[in-house]
Amino acid sequence: MGLLAVGTPLEWEEAKKSASHVRSWGIEQLLALWRKAKGKERDALLWGDEIEYLVVNFDDAERNVKLSLRQADILHALASDPELIRQGGGVPDLNQGEPKADRPAPTFHPEFGRFMLEATPGKPWGIGFKDLLDVEQDMKLRRKIAKEHMESSEFPITLTTFPLLGDRKSITPFYPPSGSKLRSQFVPDEIANPHIRFPTLAANIRARRGRKVELNVPVFHDTNTTWPFKDPTVDYDMHNWPEDQDVRNGAAKDNCIYMDAMAFGMGSCCLQITFQAKGIEEGRKMYDQLSPLGPILLALTAATPIYKGFLADTDVRWNQISRAVDDRTPEELGEKPLKSDRWRIPKSRYASNSTYISQDSRLRPEYLDPDLVVDEDLKARLVEGGMDDRLATHFAHLFIRDPIVIFAEDLQELDLEKSDHFENLQSTNWQHMRFKPPPPGNDTGWRVEVRPMEIQITDFENAAFSVFVVLITRAILSFDLNFYLPIPRTTENMETAHRRDAVLNDKFYFRKDPLPPPQTKINGVSSTPGSGANTPRSRVPSRPSTPTGPVEDEYELMTVNEIINGKDDGGFPGLIPLVESYLDSVNVDVETRCELAQYLDLIKGRASGRLWTAAKWIRRYVAEHKEYKQDSVVGDELVYDLVKAAERITVHEGRDGFAKEMLGECRERP
Amino acid sequence: MKLILSTSNLLDAGSSIRRDPTQKSNAELVSSFRANFAAHSHPQTNGSSSNGVSKQPPSRTNYKAWTHMAPDGRQELECPKLDFEHSALQEEREQYDITVKLFYLPGAPTENRATQTKEAVKLVLKELHMPSIDLLIISFPGIYFDEEEDCPDKISTRGPVEAEPEPLESQIETWKTLEALHEEGVVKKLGIAEFGHDRLVSFLERTTIRPSVDQINLRDCCSVPKKLLVLAKSRGIELLVHNDSSNVLPRGTLRELLGPGDEGAGVLAEPTKTGEKRKSLHGEQVKNGDADGEGLKGEVQPLWVVKYTAVVKNRGVVENKGYFAVAELSG
Repeated sequence: MGLLAVGTPLEWEEAKKSASHVRSWGIEQLLALWRKAKGKERDALLWGDEIEYLVVNFDDAERNVKLSLRQADILHALASDPELIRQGGGVPDLNQGEPKADRPAPTFHPEFGRFMLEATPGKPWGIGFKDLLDVEQDMKLRRKIAKEHMESSEFPITLTTFPLLGDRKSITPFYPPSGSKLRSQFVPDEIANPHIRFPTLAANIRARRGRKVELNVPVFHDTNTTWPFKDPTVDYDMHNWPEDQDVRNGAAKDNCIYMDAMAFGMGSCCLQITFQAKGIEEGRKMYDQLSPLGPILLALTAATPIYKGFLADTDVRWNQISRAVDDRTPEELGEKPLKSDRWRIPKSRYASNSTYISQDSRLRPEYLDPDLVVDEDLKARLVEGGMDDRLATHFAHLFIRDPIVIFAEDLQELDLEKSDHFENLQSTNWQHMRFKPPPPGNDTGWRVEVRPMEIQITDFENAAFSVFVVLITRAILSFDLNFYLPIPRTTENMETAHRRDAVLNDKFYFRKDPLPPPQTKINGVSSTPGSGANTPRSRVPSRPSTPTGPVEDEYELMTVNEIINGKDDGGFPGLIPLVESYLDSVNVDVETRCELAQYLDLIKGRASGRLWTAAKWIRRYVAEHKEYKQDSVVGDELVYDLVKAAERITVHEGRDGFAKEMLGECRERP
Repeated sequence: MKLILSTSNLLDAGSSIRRDPTQKSNAELVSSFRANFAAHSHPQTNGSSSNGVSKQPPSRTNYKAWTHMAPDGRQELECPKLDFEHSALQEEREQYDITVKLFYLPGAPTENRATQTKEAVKLVLKELHMPSIDLLIISFPGIYFDEEEDCPDKISTRGPVEAEPEPLESQIETWKTLEALHEEGVVKKLGIAEFGHDRLVSFLERTTIRPSVDQINLRDCCSVPKKLLVLAKSRGIELLVHNDSSNVLPRGTLRELLGPGDEGAGVLAEPTKTGEKRKSLHGEQVKNGDADGEGLKGEVQPLWVVKYTAVVKNRGVVENKGYFAVAELSG
């Protein structure tokens, strides 16, 4: 997140009046970007990963662990490290070294939570297979550098959420909750990055919504958990802010862990990967094809079984973030009749995506989301500006939202050389895939961001999942794979992925046959269509054959194991076998291939159940801990031991025999 | 008569991409030939089911309709008829990494390798519409880099062992043709497959242009003999991984592919049985496919197989991949 733009942020009542203004300028900027970049062709594959850390502070004498709110100090220390700067790394927002020809040092970025840190490689990765081997080493280097700029009692941990966030005490330095921006009864305003953008974002989401955000996570009912479970930490007698009324109006639901601030969602750590496509068409195709994979990746990376000191009945973070930034009004939510708002909106701004955007002849209209809400006026403007209907629909869908943070200074003049108004909407639509136009002013191409994955405890796992997704994109493009699924099924799959151990016990809608259909050739000319426009290969363009049969026959429910490892009956071939088939088709040296084999083995194991997700491992750790009383409560000492255990896993990656259930036996090499 | 078999771009046929660890590792080769023969020999069907599961295969046309006999009296039959018109790569030469692997097959005479090698490279260049290739790897019959090693998983992927390694002399003689292609600029780098340490040492002593690549199969046991690693590193030879069966076209495979059975393409007649008996076994077959003939008769001797792959360098996307195989039909 770039933070350089500063100015005077508008309070919600003011911002609301300028929303249409910002939207229409955003659309003009988008058209300018699109016109300039739609002809970009033959960009290389470049990709980048983002690792997000929680900064924790251990007090070994007292056996407790707290979130450290020293993000700004740590970033400052990083930005003033002459060696890091000399090697081309640093903090882009503060100070970064000159780019270097070879691999520059990593860069660090602020995040929403003041206890978070984000790190990215110093420059993007390519597809050289040796690059793929560098990813893990670079991730390790990033963590090492981050650690070196922290206090000795601090550690950058990659748990998705801090298990005690919101317990009103486990932050250092301490601030009391119930500040004017968040108005949370659990966390202080100081939990958020103090850059004006973040408190404004939180405050305006709350103001637009008309109440605090509301996160109710089902609690895991253990043998000694009370029934019904009523979150014992909720304070019904607070009277500082009008929003304190929320809980008295029933905001906290029975059998749920209740949370009331953006920090509970946006304070989660994710593993995100961004790819540069060859051109706009390839980008649109990748966006579509990766979308149905999102819920599968989410289930495979499940790592979030604890909230606010309680075991949850869900395994992943996704819906909590979704609710933490849900700015929909009661009218938009369908709780009240539509009067002043324009439409009912089925999903939060942070949700699984709702559009397909490729001009692919395999995209049947039946796949599209029947509930899609689109701003028809903005769409008409895009179409009038030359954009095709499908892409215009996508952006006009994103633009149904209001801009949340508006700086007064930016409303003076429309600058078509910039993308600030476009990005205002684009970057506050947090869908599980994001299609990113080239930014103005440099040579970057069209990109696709893959956003569903949970951060993993070790860099080995984070590298494995990153590389796996890279290889899947190469297999999709090389083999012209087809994963199209009706979008509502992906939405359902995203919900399914939340269930405890969904990776083992649940089934997901998935396309039965992703491979190109058998062909008939007359004099060498193919009569069956591929993906149409801009196929990677020299396929003869041909009339799309009329798809026959109902869409429902194209997909079925499959386990993650079947999707990843393939079906025994010769049905779905499996994503890993497809990746291996791809690797068989390219020149890979033995060292790289063996390293990749370890990554792929981790994913195979997670899918088959041979290896555990972090969620499962953490649950087992809690269940077996001496402090745990089978009552869903994850107490302070337990959390201290758990976070210590996570640190140990981060350092040893299972080589010391600890957490082998999660990492396997394969990490023996130094 | 010479038979030239081709797959065209096998990436177009989904069935060849499927990788099943229980299958033999020449499955890609077999299924891509089969898919291409089927695509040409079956009349166009509208409305194949959308999930790609076809029902009963439709009756096929006579092989003469889709194969091509060289018009100038050369005894050469293309299966299917070669058509290079639509196979060009989309971008310029320098965008691609083009790798070609030539398998000399067991039982084929070694004297003609110079001609065969040039013929194989020429076919690939025509198919891809390119003037040169980046890497030409040759695979000699009957050798495995880890002959001494005991790794049961891998031994099972070798395919039937039908040949003893040929003498070094013969390999060196073959290599001279590659050296010539390198000097002409047709091939940038040369490689060999499945050379273990000792074999590589003696080979290196006798070659002028050294191999840049030694390609070995280690999918199941990710371990490379230390001696080989050290040697490769010290001589600047890159050790690449492959997953090809060293015996890529075992005896009987071509007959199965081209024969009259349900799985065959109907180019070859049943080898020994009488017409009467064949009729009773494959009655429908004869009726539909071989109405005006019995298919070609004779013994098939496969000579060589070539595999080619074109990968877009800076995107890692495989754009074209396929095989040619050449066999001698003697009657």
